[in-house]
Amino acid sequence: MKNLVWLVSYPKSGNTWFRMFLANYQRDTDKPVSLQEIESTPISSDAVSFEEETSLNPFEMTFDEVDLYRPDVYRTISQDAEITGKICFKKTHDAYTLNTEGVPIFPADVSKCAVYFIRNPLDVCISYANHSAREVSSTVNFILNEEAYMAGKKAGQLCQKLMSWKSHVKSWKEQKLIPMLIVRYEDMLTDPYGSFGSVIKFLGLEYCEERLKRAIINSDFNKLKQMEQESGFKEKSQKCKSFFWKGKIGNYKEYLSEKQIRSIVEYNFDTMKEFGYIDDKGEIKI
Amino acid sequence: MMDLDFYVDSVAVDVVTDELEKLSCPLFFRPHLEIKESDFFINVRNVASYRVQNGDRVHVHPHENADIESIKLFLNGSVLGAVLHQKGILPFHGCSFEYNGLGIIISGLSGSGKSSVTTAFCQNGGRFINDDITPVQIGESVTTILPIKSKIKLWDDSLQSLNIKNDNLQRIRPLMDKFYISLPEKMLTEQPLNHIFILAKHNEDIFKVNELSGMAKYNVLRNQIYRKSYLKGMPETSKTYFKQLCKLAQQIRITQVIRPQICSIYDTMNFIKQQIV
Repeated sequence: MKNLVWLVSYPKSGNTWFRMFLANYQRDTDKPVSLQEIESTPISSDAVSFEEETSLNPFEMTFDEVDLYRPDVYRTISQDAEITGKICFKKTHDAYTLNTEGVPIFPADVSKCAVYFIRNPLDVCISYANHSAREVSSTVNFILNEEAYMAGKKAGQLCQKLMSWKSHVKSWKEQKLIPMLIVRYEDMLTDPYGSFGSVIKFLGLEYCEERLKRAIINSDFNKLKQMEQESGFKEKSQKCKSFFWKGKIGNYKEYLSEKQIRSIVEYNFDTMKEFGYIDDKGEIKI
Repeated sequence: MMDLDFYVDSVAVDVVTDELEKLSCPLFFRPHLEIKESDFFINVRNVASYRVQNGDRVHVHPHENADIESIKLFLNGSVLGAVLHQKGILPFHGCSFEYNGLGIIISGLSGSGKSSVTTAFCQNGGRFINDDITPVQIGESVTTILPIKSKIKLWDDSLQSLNIKNDNLQRIRPLMDKFYISLPEKMLTEQPLNHIFILAKHNEDIFKVNELSGMAKYNVLRNQIYRKSYLKGMPETSKTYFKQLCKLAQQIRITQVIRPQICSIYDTMNFIKQQIV
């Protein structure tokens, strides 16, 4: 049964924010859903779920070996979800890749669709540097690195192949097996009703404007930030002060040098142009 | 002849060249895993497939180009878990040692720091019993830790933090920076179990502690069973364990310790020491 929906993004592109919106939309109450409630729906690269499903310790396997099992792990999750009859949403940061047997990590036979959240890579870079408590310069190199991956070492999450920012976008955009909607982070901020509403319609969920409005208010960025300050958030790393940081458009201007901006724009030129972040001449539009 | 050095002596381990047959009518199955009460099959891709029957026989079919270290690693991990379950010997996902006369298990998820903290204890007066998998024999009033032939496995950064040189240490798999280490004093006799610590991590800078009581002890104990998902295909064993865990919960102390993600191994050891009174 095609009941898995992949909520896909390069890190720090609005995925968690959307999950909070979705939890509020599904719950449909006046009171905002707490951050702890989405912590109970683990990311697709959760190592504990992998070990429970496969009975193998992923940290004693190579990344490629782990990827051989992942399609079947997701099929099992789909089977388990069938009992409830509900769609199962899974957050993921992986690029769309094939394992060493040529099989897609994300199996189309159990995938209903995917929503891809895209954000200006200049802002992604700054937000990711804050999240991982890394130097900005090494984060610039990271998002331009075709071999980039996250986690997978000794604990926590499975290895997720990210590749460069542009290749991450391209990998999902060019796959044809899973129907996909691309949503810009910037549109979620400037036109939340149009943007979040389009996802609700794409997912085939019951569309209700009142409900949409309530969910948007209850998942407002500042509200999430306040909730994190009051009761913490497990998805934050120990070194990072807060998961929900600034969330604004153009934050990169305060942190990236001209040279760093130029290197990101040049490397990602076509993709940034396609999604309206730069014009034909490479001038930054937002 | 391949020497697979299985951790339990009483079990016959045969290496076979023919593909292993799968189970007929398993009660629990996944594409690589099939289980019923006294029969178990697992296929570890690129390494080997294994079949365990009646808790006393293991067949191993190595895959092409598999290295012996990898074959041994999974044999003494997931496959050992199946052997112990079939024997009705409850295995906890934890390391064990004796400290000041007390039998201690440090349990927790893979990557929580069980082996590192156990090594730190053994550098400071503890005597090592088992790494990663600790079988226990649950009696009416006393439960004992059963020693098996396991060695501690540590990542390179843990070795460094514990001042252990990795010059002549054997890697657990050829390309993996995790090594077997032999601790000087390994206990080979059974040791009464007194205290289980459940070790977890969080993104805060402080340690947290919670000693459990009542039904919470049973629920937490059940979650510490090594490869507890096997029990989905072993209903009889699962029933027996239920009774045993209820007894065990009354016999021992159980303390949850949450440590910072980034912290010193010795700080974690010292924090746990303070709870052992």
